Order: sequence, then C-alpha cells, then structure tokens
Amino acid sequence: MTPLDLVRLALARLRSSRLRAALTMLGVIIGVGSVVALVAVGQGATRGITSQLESLGTNLLTINPGSATTFGTRGAAGSATTLTLDDAAAVAAIDGVAAVAPEVSTQQLVVAGALNTTTSVVGTSPSYAAVHNDTIWQGRFLTGPTGDLGLRVAVLGATTASDLGLGADAVGTDITIGGIPFRVIGILQAKGGAGPLNQDDTILVPLGAVTSHFVHGDTVRSIAVSVASADQMDLVKAEITTTLKSRHGLGAADTADFNVFDQAQLLTTVNSITGLLTVLLAGIASISLVVGGIGIMNIMLVSVRERTREIGIRKAIGARSRDILFQFLIEALVLSLLGGLIGIVVGLGATAVIGAIAGWGFAFSPITLVVAVLFSLAVGVIFGVWPARQAARLDPIAALRYE
Amino acid sequence: MTDPLITLERVSRVYQTGRIDVRALDGLDLVVERGEFLAVVGPSGSGKSTLMNIVGCLDRPTTGRYVLDGTAVEELDDDGLAAVRSRSIGFVFQSYNLLPRTSALDNVAAALAYQGVGRRERTARATASLERLGLGDRLDHEPTELSGGQQQRVAIARALVTEPALLLADEPTGNLDTASGAEVMGILRELHASGRTVVLITHDADVAAGADRQVHVRDGRLVA
Repeated sequence: MTPLDLVRLALARLRSSRLRAALTMLGVIIGVGSVVALVAVGQGATRGITSQLESLGTNLLTINPGSATTFGTRGAAGSATTLTLDDAAAVAAIDGVAAVAPEVSTQQLVVAGALNTTTSVVGTSPSYAAVHNDTIWQGRFLTGPTGDLGLRVAVLGATTASDLGLGADAVGTDITIGGIPFRVIGILQAKGGAGPLNQDDTILVPLGAVTSHFVHGDTVRSIAVSVASADQMDLVKAEITTTLKSRHGLGAADTADFNVFDQAQLLTTVNSITGLLTVLLAGIASISLVVGGIGIMNIMLVSVRERTREIGIRKAIGARSRDILFQFLIEALVLSLLGGLIGIVVGLGATAVIGAIAGWGFAFSPITLVVAVLFSLAVGVIFGVWPARQAARLDPIAALRYE
Repeated sequence: MTDPLITLERVSRVYQTGRIDVRALDGLDLVVERGEFLAVVGPSGSGKSTLMNIVGCLDRPTTGRYVLDGTAVEELDDDGLAAVRSRSIGFVFQSYNLLPRTSALDNVAAALAYQGVGRRERTARATASLERLGLGDRLDHEPTELSGGQQQRVAIARALVTEPALLLADEPTGNLDTASGAEVMGILRELHASGRTVVLITHDADVAAGADRQVHVRDGRLVA
C-alpha cells in the first residue's frame, strides 16, 4: 500500500461515516480556529496601536514637569510647574533637535453656531505640526506671526470640526472658545484613533492666546521635541536632561524635576504587552486543540475495536503490522488535517469579522497558517499513534475470530 | 520429483492457558506434494484449526519444522510471515471474511496492494480474477449486496489473484446452502485440475470426499 492508497482508503472510510468524522473533527476545528483567530486579533490590535502611536509623531520626545515636593510631601507627577518657554528655547538650541513645540492645554467649551463641544484646547507654536506629524486638510496651520502675537485664531482637529458641524467652507468663520471669539484658519487631516487615543479631537491655538485668556503665567504644560534621526534619540535625551537640570539649578546627582518621555520606549512596552497577551490567548486556545486531539484518539480507539475483524482479514491477505499502523495513523492524520484546514477557514472568517468591527482591518500572517497546519498534523500523529499501534499489534488469529 | 510444497516435521503447538498447557498439535508430520488436493478432516477440538493456522502462516509452531515452498517458516518474524501469506497463500474462510463496505473489486485488489502492485495493474488483475469466477457484473457490489455463494466466490477470486502456491480453504462450504456449497467445491476441483495445490479443512466427511486425498486429525496427531 502506498501512502496515496492509504489516504484514499482513509477518505473513503471518512465518507462512509460522515457524521462521526465531522463530530470528531469539530474539536480540532474549534482548537485551530480559535488559535488562528486569537493570534490574528492580537496581531491586529498590536498593529492598530502601533500605527496610532506612530502617528503621534516620529522620533518624539515629550518633556513633562516632574512631581513637586512641598514641605517634604512628594506630589503626583506633573504637579510641578517648572517648565517654561525659556526652557523650550534652550532645548531647541540642542544639537540634533529638529523642532520643539511647547504646549499649554486646557479644557474649554467650544461653540460654533448652534453646536457645541467640550474639548482640549492646546496652545502651541507653529512647529507643532512638524513635531506631531500633522497635515492640514483645509486652510493653513499656525504661522510665526500669529503665534508671536497670540492672535485668536484656531486650527481644528478633524473630529472636533465634525462635532461642530464645520466643513471645508468653515475656514474664515468664527467660533467661540470659552466665551472668547476665535477665527478658524485651518482644519487638520484625520489621523484615526478612537476613545482616549483620539488625536483628532483637539483645537490648536497660538500659545499666547491660551496664556493671555485661559492659563496665566509663563509655564508650559509640556514640551514636545522632534529629534532629527532615530539614532540620536538617546543622545538628545541625555543632553536635554543635562541642560534642563542646570537651568533649574540642580546638580547632576539630584532628582530631575521633569521627565523626558520617549515614544520608542512606549512602543516597545506596548508591543511586549500585546505580544504577551497574544501568546497567552493562543496558549488558552491551544488547550482546546489538545481536547480535540483526545477526541480523535478516542474515536480511533473505538474504530480499532470495531474493525478488529477487518484488521484480521487484512493481515491474513498479507498486510504487515506497519501497513496496519500506517492505515490507522493516516486516518487520524486525515481527520486532524481536514479539521485543521476547516479550522483555519473558520479562524480567518472570525478574524475578518472582528477586524471589521474593531476597525483595524483584516490582518493575518502566513506563518500562523503554516504553524496551524503543522499543529494539526502534530495532533494527528501524537493522538493517532497509540490507537494505530493497538491495531498493528493485534494477533491475526484472534482478530479473525473477533465478533 | 520436485520438493513437496508443504513439509511439517514433528510440529507441536502448545497454548499456555493459566497453569495448564494445552497441546493442540502433538508432534504432527505431514507432507503435501505440489498439485495435490488434500482434505484435512477432524471434529472440533481435534487441532485442525491450529493446523490450518500454522499451515496458513498465521501462527508459528512451538516446536518442529515447517517448510512451505522452500521457506523455513518457523524461523520467520511477523513481517516475514506476512510476506509469505501475501506471496504464497490464498485463504478461503467459512465466513468469507470480505472487507465490509468495500466493493468486490477493491476486496480482491486489496490482496495485490499489500504486494506493492500499482493501481492500474491491481484493477486489471482483480477484474480478470472476478470475471474468471463469473462475477464480472458484480465488480461494484459490496458484500452486503451479494449472496453467500457470490461472497465466497469473491473470496476465492481474492485468494487466487496473487497466484499463490497454496489455496487454503477452511470450511469453505460451511455457511452455504447445498447448491452454493456444491458450486464452490466444483470451483476448487477445477482449480486443482488446472494444477493448483488445494488444502481443504473440514469436519464434514461428504465435503472431504471431494478431495483426492484425506488425512484425519485427532488429539493433535494424524490418524490413519
């Protein structure tokens, strides 16, 4: 019997007991399907989060104030108001810094005609667009003179614009922010994202406009720094720390009263967390694969018992033990492989549905499929060998007499 | 004169069942020449089934020598026995022993598959064998769709398709009505007439009468 003969024999056998074959395969179908779907969901989520983080800006460093210690009590991070516009200017002078955008943000009620929304109003400089990878959709971005003069002009994020019912023709019209009229000079291209990660729900105004109308003083909430190239990140980060420490009158050994936050670090952290979650989910799903394998073993053992006489006949007409071994092993393999292939289709279907709902599209890697096929083959071999050995070891005389 | 096809010398087969040893065959000697039609006759419990298992290479003697077609069978391992069964022996059983849910053609072709014969040649030879037994119009029928006599003819076709040196028939008429039984005996006699060696195992003196020579087994030995 060639392997091809045995595959034919196995398929004929499965055709003659379709319901049993289908139920036996179900375990593997569910196991492989859930592994494929969960791994793809994990990868899709990672990709979605990564692309959102990348759209925040490339080679981005963010400087935030540290915690203030008053009368020996250490406050929460950000409680200190130590960063100033002069600090931003000093950082901008550091080698390797491409652009610097100081930011002061405030939550304000924004009204346009009959519609209103409450959103974050960020006072910043024209370099904000370069630092955060923003592109303009309509109108123009903040420019040098508007920033310096603190004019009441506003650039709207895409979500804010649509919340306020403002389209392309809104450029040049007026809205009120916290009761003060501002002129819309531009609307940003949508960047995507949802919930707390939505970067499109914002209004950008000149820094001077925020400090003169909403948040008084010359401190800034944060300074966003765009570094010229990725391999300068660590160097620039160290240089910023040194510069700001000396400006704040701190020695090299003192704790900094600010934090320099690295975008790449966040990406690495997020990737390792989602990677871990993916492995965890796939691990849980593979338990059902093992259960499916046990189902195959169970049915194969029943099958060997039921077909004892057939095994006896085959041995009498010249089958060697290994012919019988391979006959039953290949039957188990065909079951698990068919189950695996159906499971892949089911898993990809689930992936497509989940991807469409979650909005990160259809993501799957061919490696997952190869691994899924190999896994189901392994299940077939591991759980098929023992029943097959039982069959192969049968004594032909006893098997022929078996009723 | 050529070598005999079967030579059994002082063959014993002892089964160990608990503490008591059962001596199913007890130093039996038997020679079957090529082209013979021999009937082995004996009541149940005489040891004729054990003899048939050993002659059919399904079992090995505990002691003694068995040479089949020039091969010393008692020295072979399980795979060796399987190879001898595949090459040299065609079985016909009382209960037909066809593969269930398998067409007549595939039943006959299966015997060739274990010899490694290719698919096309298997189909051709199995078809020819079934046609020789008058079953050319039953190739696609499964065992449940065939009468007892037809099933036994499929079994004979399967036994013959490998051109074995020995046709070993164990109560081949036992499950058949008189007419079908007579038909099967007629086929065996025809095969003998065309030069094939046939060993028939039976408890029925009437059936045994159809053979050229009879040996009687009692208590694990041949009796006159």
